[in-house]
Amino acid sequence: MKHVIIGVGAAGIVAANTISKHRPNDQIVMISADDAVYSRCMLHKYIGGGRSVEALSFVSPNFFEARNIVWRKGISVTGIDTAAKTVSFDGGTETYDKLLIATGAKSALPPIEGVKDCSGVYGLRDLADATAIRDKAAGAEKIVIVGAGLVGLDAAYGLIEMGKKPMVIDMAKSVLSANLDERAAEVYQTKFEEAGCVFRFESKVSKVRSDGAGNLSCMILGSGEEIPCDLLIIAVGINPESKLLPGKPDKYLKVGDDSVFAAGDATGLSSSWPSAMEQGEVAALNMCGIETVYEECLAQRNTVNFFGIASVSVGRFLATDGDTLDVRVDKGRYQKIVINDGVPAGVILQGDISRCGFWQYLIRNNVNIEKIPRSVWKVSFADAYGLNQDGEYEWVK
Amino acid sequence: MRRILIDSEKCLGCKNCSIACMQSHRGEDGVAGLNLSSQELESRNTVLMNSKKQYKPLFCRHCSKPGCAKSCMSGAMVKNPETGLVEYDYEKCAACFMCVMNCPFGVLKPDRASGTYVVKCDFCADKGSNPECVKNCPTGAIKVEEVTTV
Amino acid sequence: MSQRFSCVTCASADKPLERFIGDLPMETSFHRVESQEIKCGFGLDGVCCRLCANGPCRITPDSPKGVCGANADTIVGRNFLRAVAAGSGCYIHVIENTARNLKSTALAKGELKGSKALDKLCAMLGIDVSGQDIYAKALKVADAVLDDLYKPLFEKMTLTENLAYKPRFDRWQELGILPGGAKSEIVAGLVKTSTNLNSDPVDMLLHCLRLGISTGLYGLTLTNLLNDVILGEPEIRIAPVGLRVIDPEYINIMLTGHQHSMIAYLQEYITSDAAIQQAKAAGAKGFKLVGCTCVGQDLQVRGAHCTAFYDGHAGNNFTSEAILATGAIDAVITEFNCTLPGIEPICDALQIKQICIDTIAKKANADVVDYSFDKRPEATVQIFNEVAAAYKARRKDVELRLLPEHGNDSTLTGLSESSLKGFLGDTWMPLIELIAGGQIKGLAAVVGCSNLTGEGHDVLTVKLTEELIKKDILVLTAGCSSGGIENCGLMSPDAAELAGPNLKAVCQKLGIPPVLNFGPCLAIGRLEIIAGEIAQALNIDIPQLPLVLSAPQWLEEQALADGAFGLALGLPLHLGLPPFVTGSPIAVQVLCKDMIELTGGQVLINGDAAESANLLEHIIIQKRKGLNLE
Repeated sequence: MKHVIIGVGAAGIVAANTISKHRPNDQIVMISADDAVYSRCMLHKYIGGGRSVEALSFVSPNFFEARNIVWRKGISVTGIDTAAKTVSFDGGTETYDKLLIATGAKSALPPIEGVKDCSGVYGLRDLADATAIRDKAAGAEKIVIVGAGLVGLDAAYGLIEMGKKPMVIDMAKSVLSANLDERAAEVYQTKFEEAGCVFRFESKVSKVRSDGAGNLSCMILGSGEEIPCDLLIIAVGINPESKLLPGKPDKYLKVGDDSVFAAGDATGLSSSWPSAMEQGEVAALNMCGIETVYEECLAQRNTVNFFGIASVSVGRFLATDGDTLDVRVDKGRYQKIVINDGVPAGVILQGDISRCGFWQYLIRNNVNIEKIPRSVWKVSFADAYGLNQDGEYEWVK
Repeated sequence: MRRILIDSEKCLGCKNCSIACMQSHRGEDGVAGLNLSSQELESRNTVLMNSKKQYKPLFCRHCSKPGCAKSCMSGAMVKNPETGLVEYDYEKCAACFMCVMNCPFGVLKPDRASGTYVVKCDFCADKGSNPECVKNCPTGAIKVEEVTTV
Repeated sequence: MSQRFSCVTCASADKPLERFIGDLPMETSFHRVESQEIKCGFGLDGVCCRLCANGPCRITPDSPKGVCGANADTIVGRNFLRAVAAGSGCYIHVIENTARNLKSTALAKGELKGSKALDKLCAMLGIDVSGQDIYAKALKVADAVLDDLYKPLFEKMTLTENLAYKPRFDRWQELGILPGGAKSEIVAGLVKTSTNLNSDPVDMLLHCLRLGISTGLYGLTLTNLLNDVILGEPEIRIAPVGLRVIDPEYINIMLTGHQHSMIAYLQEYITSDAAIQQAKAAGAKGFKLVGCTCVGQDLQVRGAHCTAFYDGHAGNNFTSEAILATGAIDAVITEFNCTLPGIEPICDALQIKQICIDTIAKKANADVVDYSFDKRPEATVQIFNEVAAAYKARRKDVELRLLPEHGNDSTLTGLSESSLKGFLGDTWMPLIELIAGGQIKGLAAVVGCSNLTGEGHDVLTVKLTEELIKKDILVLTAGCSSGGIENCGLMSPDAAELAGPNLKAVCQKLGIPPVLNFGPCLAIGRLEIIAGEIAQALNIDIPQLPLVLSAPQWLEEQALADGAFGLALGLPLHLGLPPFVTGSPIAVQVLCKDMIELTGGQVLINGDAAESANLLEHIIIQKRKGLNLE
């Protein structure tokens, strides 16, 4: 059996590892536009100079050799022929028995007039983006980041480490609005501001202008205000790279006939590093004939760690009518639990995230905690403590 | 693989396991010199109490399906297929703490003093034989046994 | 959407206090409870031994003996006796200082406010003082007490027989537990429990009873009676309690300790012209004492003599941090426990001067002032200078965080064996008739400390008290239990509404609350006098009375010594938490069962208020049946 995996991101790599574990004699070919394996969640550390390209890798250096994987790097797949079971690319084709499309996503580009006509505008998605930003930023002083989400702040953090003082623009009222409430967000905003960052909220970029030689020179806000700018980083989200997918993924992550699967951001399903890993594993198991159903993860679950302040947010962290909200603030801690009908719907934990992982379990599995006769702050795995015969923990009712 | 098995009914909450763990990871020998006020000391294990006031020891299980490794974006947290241990590489870790969020039992935590790494059981791999927590449990609530599910 | 702002702090029966502490920016004991939640089971069971270098040894099914061969019974016996000896040491220190203060005052012909009390005391102790003046009488009493305290182990203390109710004394004699010199008994307790000495758990538990007797009759009973001579007797009155008593316009001194006689000079100095001028010069109206812990309760019961310098009792041991956090306290004067180490960083942060006037209670960041009797005048001036300086320095910077709505103005106080008997018409008969008639089912002494374990600060104490009064059981209190119960309003006459129908009617008729506050833990000694006098009136022994004792939230070693006294008196003793003995089957057997045969007492351990109240009610009913009252 020959497995072809397009993409060497989290989903592709986990899939390859899973196939090699369960079907050590099968043939695995990986094809990627990238010519290095790297974790895109760490690109800002590359910009900031904290990590080399090698240190961005999330696999061991002999990952491919150890598993007899053929890796065709620097190749962009242009098409799939499901009837012939081939993938084609510039300069050749590859046949497959089972195919996994794990092509990831691309930075979303908002409609900004003039972007196409000048250089100096980048997303932050690939190593190539990070390299370009780093090179350009070295000589830039007026750097603007559009988007104060995790990627935007990652970029800002990397640039701060380079000694830059970027401006960050967002349409929302606070940073990290998809991940944190205003109170938790403000803690980070203050830290970024102290480090020299300037924020413009409830604003958007409508236009950019070049200096005449094709170099970005200024950007214009929706309000009409002109801001000089020599490097613009767009971090407003992603668009799944799904053009190769013959159809939508089913519960086995099959996307066409029985031979074609998808995993990771390309699927358009929940998008995060752990989700991509989970999807990669499920798809790979199905490719090996081990029938496995993919259960969609919580759309909102993330960690934030800037300036030594860690936060975890899971689920629906903004309370609405009918919810009970528990808040606890002390000694640099901010903790918030939204409960609906006895079931935790979401949490934000900031400052102290020690041993907090059970919250995701409770939220994801709709566990009613009202029956536990103790304060919500004392809820833990202890009240559902179980062990199986091999000594692994299990949640018991 | 070898796993620390837990008999929570035998746990008396003496925290000897926690002291042994701190001792094992502080880089110096001798429990007598342990400065238990030091913020640098970290125990990988802890003892929880449930609402019935029963003690429930919380130890890394080195799970067969480790939520921590399955969320690691730096390759720092990896299940070793040979030993079954979920190994953690300080150098690789990017301190994103996705593993902390993804341990369904709430075992993992960032380190207290610097917040730059994850406090994670290594089975006292460098000490040979059994982990120090097991050696120091006075009631036999924790012991190491060979199990089939890796 | 409903929002609950929960805090990490421990719960309290006193909800305004709980909220106040929950919102404080500084750490208190309430904040630390959570991180100490996991208790070592060996420690809880009393089976960890650190007496020698082979240890610490701990008893488990696989290791039933320590290296030396001591089993759980021996280890528990030693640990328990050590604790009781230490607790006895505390109270004996208190009576020793009190007797020395009485003696010094007598020799100096200083002020003695209780001449009637002195006469009663001389009569009680069988001291012939006919035709002598008050100072000569006081000197004789003080010397008699000190003589007993300093006797060797092999010589019985002579006042025991005078102080104890006769049938009790006789029983103690039969059991061979009459104490030698009180200090020697403590030393013997420590020696017995040292490495590889006594291994007999029963002998050690009996030694606890000896210590209980010396602690109770001397440390408790006599301390009250000597203080009555020096400071004046309690008078029944209504007084304010809680954080409301703090008046920020004064220079406020919070007191912690147990030795009221130590501050006899200091409290009078507050009303001197010099002190008033000093306060005014500093910008305040004057100096005031704010009560906290047992010494505060002592001032509270003697409040009739203290109106000029004392505003009332603010709270018990675990309220001390909150009292300081109000910002309106300028100094803490400490003469003994309960003075939590946790107040130290709060005092530092709020620039509160800390002064210790007994070297025994030296605090880490406090000054110790030599406050011996002769040096009191100069030392007092020095203290007031420092406190006034602290007031001036701190008040401009420190934010006030007052809680004037906390507590109440209607707490009945000033109870003693004399004032209560006086209230009843100089006879116990009205009370005896109410008990006999069933209007009052029985008496429960809810005494001892406050702790933060179990359900939280004063939670079990207050809930148990509420349950008991609902059952028409009149509650008498002494110790930090009083502080919590009074701040929760149960000592206000209005609280009669919370009592059962019979007790409610009695309270309403007499205008008293269903819970009577005798003040400090020392006043357990007053309750013993009452029990003895009622038993005498009925011509029965104390264990036959429908009277139970409970220390629902005992905290410290002193409480264990008090408890040993209760057991020696033959009273059922309820505890909310076990006293680190449950690892020994023999200790449990002796304390909970065999004690009934020995003294008539028994330990009952239960942490649930309703269950505990039922247990105690059941015992009271049994005792009533024994007296043919049912």
